[in-house]
Amino acid sequence: MKEVFVNIGEIQVLKQRGRLVAVGLGSCVGLILYDALAKVGGMAHVFLPTNKRGGANEHPGKFADTAILAMVEQMTSLGAQKRRLTAKMAGGSQLFSYGAPFMDVGRQNVEALQRELQAAGIPLAGSDVLGSRGRKLIFDVATGQVLVFVIGEDPVEL
Amino acid sequence: MTYDSKGNEFKLDMLKELGNIGAGHATTALSKLLGNKKLTLVVPEAVIVGMQESMRLCGGPESLVGATYIRVSGGLCGHMALLLPYESVQSLLGYLLGAAPQDLSDMELSTLQEVGNIVVTSYLNALADMTHTELYPSVPAVAVDMAAAVWSSILAGAEVADYITIVQTAFQTDAEIIDGTIAFIPDEEDLSKLLDALGMGEL
Amino acid sequence: MTAMANTILVVDDTAFMRMMIKNVVQKHGYQVIGEAGDGEEAIAKYKELHPDLVTMDITMPKLDGISAIKAIVEYDPQAKIIVCSAMGQKNMVIEALKSGAKDFLVKPFEADRVIEALQKAVG
Repeated sequence: MKEVFVNIGEIQVLKQRGRLVAVGLGSCVGLILYDALAKVGGMAHVFLPTNKRGGANEHPGKFADTAILAMVEQMTSLGAQKRRLTAKMAGGSQLFSYGAPFMDVGRQNVEALQRELQAAGIPLAGSDVLGSRGRKLIFDVATGQVLVFVIGEDPVEL
Repeated sequence: MTYDSKGNEFKLDMLKELGNIGAGHATTALSKLLGNKKLTLVVPEAVIVGMQESMRLCGGPESLVGATYIRVSGGLCGHMALLLPYESVQSLLGYLLGAAPQDLSDMELSTLQEVGNIVVTSYLNALADMTHTELYPSVPAVAVDMAAAVWSSILAGAEVADYITIVQTAFQTDAEIIDGTIAFIPDEEDLSKLLDALGMGEL
Repeated sequence: MTAMANTILVVDDTAFMRMMIKNVVQKHGYQVIGEAGDGEEAIAKYKELHPDLVTMDITMPKLDGISAIKAIVEYDPQAKIIVCSAMGQKNMVIEALKSGAKDFLVKPFEADRVIEALQKAVG
């Protein structure tokens, strides 16, 4: 089966079959959008809430406030319809303990994506976010199945 | 990129040298902690890489690592990390606490935190000395998890741009299985200050 | 005549380092009467316990060691504080000594050096 790895800042979309995989989600969030009828699925590996540095943004998938629009565009060009899209997401954890108040990026990513999804009118059908563990996310576009893996634990289906 | 390729080459050479000296002090400190075990530095590197490429520095993306992260402020702002494969974390804790731990409780994490503190701060002491600045380490943060998750969280905390300047030095012990990497990510804006401090600002 | 053991307050943000220092000083007959994990706690514990000696870390959450030294010395000009920190940059050492620390040990330190510094401080 075709397996596409979604690296940090990337957006990948597939139609009919194949798996989208995001490895090593710490404070990053893997955002999944799915049109179950057209069997078009997409995944973004979101790094930060927004592009604070400014300047040209060649990677819309990198930021929570640009990822959704860009992914919807790519998906509709494959036959998805925006009104049928549902979302799932995993990640946004705070891996580091002790003296790291500045490392709250995970929570900020999750909250930013929740806001953006609401603004786009896309319902959130499932999520496994926050906490203190790293995650791996696998999304089967043919079945819509989403699995979240944590080291040393059984996978959880979203 | 602020510098042309010639400038970049000089910049990276200089950073590599700084990394070498910083890591030399850092591993001397680690060696002392480990009862004067011999530590070897392996090829210091200074590179400008994309985020995805930087992932290779931390080994297999899904392998388990222990990491200490320290934010650096003062004359040269940036980010430092000590990354240890899990086997090394276990040998290290085994040596310092007397028994290899089954799982990591507060005492184990605190030990990893202090080792990271001593190693990274020793690196910064050498760097401060060379560049005639003061470098202040933050309280260290600690994580043990998938390498890619840990490293990307550090990059996110650092809010890095698409291309990252990284100075990294790998080290290993001869007999025991303790190896690891010390990584330094200077803030781009501060790099020119560093060049100035070393009298290389015109490059 | 049996001398009373000198009492020590151990200040460091990591439990591991507090344990290391405790092990070293207890072996040499000092009595650890308190521990603190940050500068604020150090000041409070000092006022509560009045230890003969303090070992003080620099880089700590809430309040750093230099600020804690200043506050403790202001409260008790006779306070005997030895810094134990990895942060061995020249200006930091000078600032710590100017603030009233009696000695400055750079981590990782040898056990002998700790004892030597403590002995010198109590005179």
